Amino acid sequence: MRFLSRKLAGMTALLLAGAALTPCGKALADDPVLQTEESDIIKLSPVTPHRILVQDPVGHHAKDGRVYVVDADQGKLLGMVQAAYNGNVVQDPKGRAFYVGETVWSRGNRGDRADLLATYDPQTLEITNDEVLPGRALVTPKKNDLTISHDGGRVYVYDMVPTNAVHVVDTATHKVAINVGLPGCALTYPWGNAGFTSICADGSLANVSIGADKADITHTKPFFDPEKDAVFEHSPSHSEDGKTYFISYSGLVYPATLSAHTVIDKPWSIQEAAGMKAATNADSPFTVTWRPGGWQLAALHYASGHLYVAMHQGTFWTHKVAGSEIWELDVATHKLLRRIKLPKPSSMVGVTQDANPLLFTDDEAGDFFIWDLKSGKIVHTMKHLGDDLYFTVALGE
Amino acid sequence: MTQSELISGRAIQDGVSSSPLDRLTERLTRRVAGHSSRRSVLGRLGAWATFGAIVPLLPVERASAATPTKKDDKATAKAPSPFAAKAQTTDPTACDYWRYCAIDGFLCASCGGGVHSCPPGTRPSPTSWIGTCFNPRDGQSYLVAYRDCCGQDACSQPPCLGTDGDQPSYRPQANNDIIWCFGTGALVYNCSTSVIVGNAS
Repeated sequence: MRFLSRKLAGMTALLLAGAALTPCGKALADDPVLQTEESDIIKLSPVTPHRILVQDPVGHHAKDGRVYVVDADQGKLLGMVQAAYNGNVVQDPKGRAFYVGETVWSRGNRGDRADLLATYDPQTLEITNDEVLPGRALVTPKKNDLTISHDGGRVYVYDMVPTNAVHVVDTATHKVAINVGLPGCALTYPWGNAGFTSICADGSLANVSIGADKADITHTKPFFDPEKDAVFEHSPSHSEDGKTYFISYSGLVYPATLSAHTVIDKPWSIQEAAGMKAATNADSPFTVTWRPGGWQLAALHYASGHLYVAMHQGTFWTHKVAGSEIWELDVATHKLLRRIKLPKPSSMVGVTQDANPLLFTDDEAGDFFIWDLKSGKIVHTMKHLGDDLYFTVALGE
Repeated sequence: MTQSELISGRAIQDGVSSSPLDRLTERLTRRVAGHSSRRSVLGRLGAWATFGAIVPLLPVERASAATPTKKDDKATAKAPSPFAAKAQTTDPTACDYWRYCAIDGFLCASCGGGVHSCPPGTRPSPTSWIGTCFNPRDGQSYLVAYRDCCGQDACSQPPCLGTDGDQPSYRPQANNDIIWCFGTGALVYNCSTSVIVGNAS
């Protein structure tokens, strides 16, 4: 018996070995000999609505900031470019270029300072122009520190030194066309092709119309109290028609139509849109309720008028706390349409502008979540896309 | 004789008062002066009126000083914000240290510096924004200057974010996102200090 079983075992081993070897031998015989190769560079297709830019200032070593180019349909990283030291990025509304504002010193952390506006080819990610700016504000990046006119003809660079100002860069000549001094006001919200609006320290707006060699400025009356209930810098805006939704810390939405003669409508409450009581402001800071918060805490889908806001439960002064839900609201009816629960709290919400929009959120670990808005489901998770994902830029913004 | 002595002397000599009230006051004063001395009962009454009022306060003050728990309770009740209500006063390397009510970034106290000291190799910014933080130990609010230490890249110890009174960058005097390294050479941010610059209570 012992002999028989040993013989059977030997035959089995031979059969298995044969089975394992045969395909290998066949594959080796069929594969051609590998040919020598040339190094080449990938060239991307033209920008699509679902190819986005993701800004990462890398706060733990801020001189290494960068912008990621992401294919949101595949959840795939296509490339990246440097965006040094609280860099910022804005894209041509038609996707013909994107612009990166950055700051470097000639000897790393010392030496001569250079503030730059690099123009990138969106298909090669090569710099086509590298302009030296008079300066730019060094601040943890916010989208409205670097914006673009609706036709892409002007880039607006916000600066703080020596005083608040906006450098208007002509994207055809790559030169600063005009510097607009704006004492007491900051940021830019473009309307049309020849103007932008800034928010001022007293709760008013400054509307800047840019002429050939000078700028005309008009001011609105103050419409909010910055000490009690300031409006967020990342309030979504549409450059085509100047429609802007200034969202306050407590959750009031001030619809505005920006122009040389800006009109600000009565505010409505995000919480009341959800059937809740309006949230308290700084006068009652201990009240816990749902509140907006994060960094890029809101996004607007222009065609549908759907507003997406990152919401969390907390007291007043929690305006930078990441959202545990995204609330979808209709800006026309002031109604809550949907609450999207997030697997991880997100400091950002981004949206694409096409008919099949994707939504973007992140988490503290730098994971990037891509959502299909029709189904309300996550379609891709990009694990640790970066260190500090601050905002997204989609075609048509 | 100085000019003021001349003026007062003339007024007494002239005995001129412009109104009945002035004349009545003058007569009363002269009467009291003429019938009292420095050791009179009037002086004693004045002393009681002045110092007697303090006497009832002394034991209360001593009692509250001897029972810090009660005082802490009182201070917590006055805390003006949710951060202040939970703040501690002993560990400046933790984010809930009372002065960090509006700090944003890396604590210099964890980066080789201190609460108001920059680590070696960096320089304090002469500019800053100002927050107002509540100290639960003494129940007082203080103006705190969040001065950045500059010249080296981010210290990269675990960061802290306090947002009490933090306003957007169009209110730079109350914004913690701006790199406050103006005037230090390279505006490269390393860490944040919290310097008391005044009492806000």
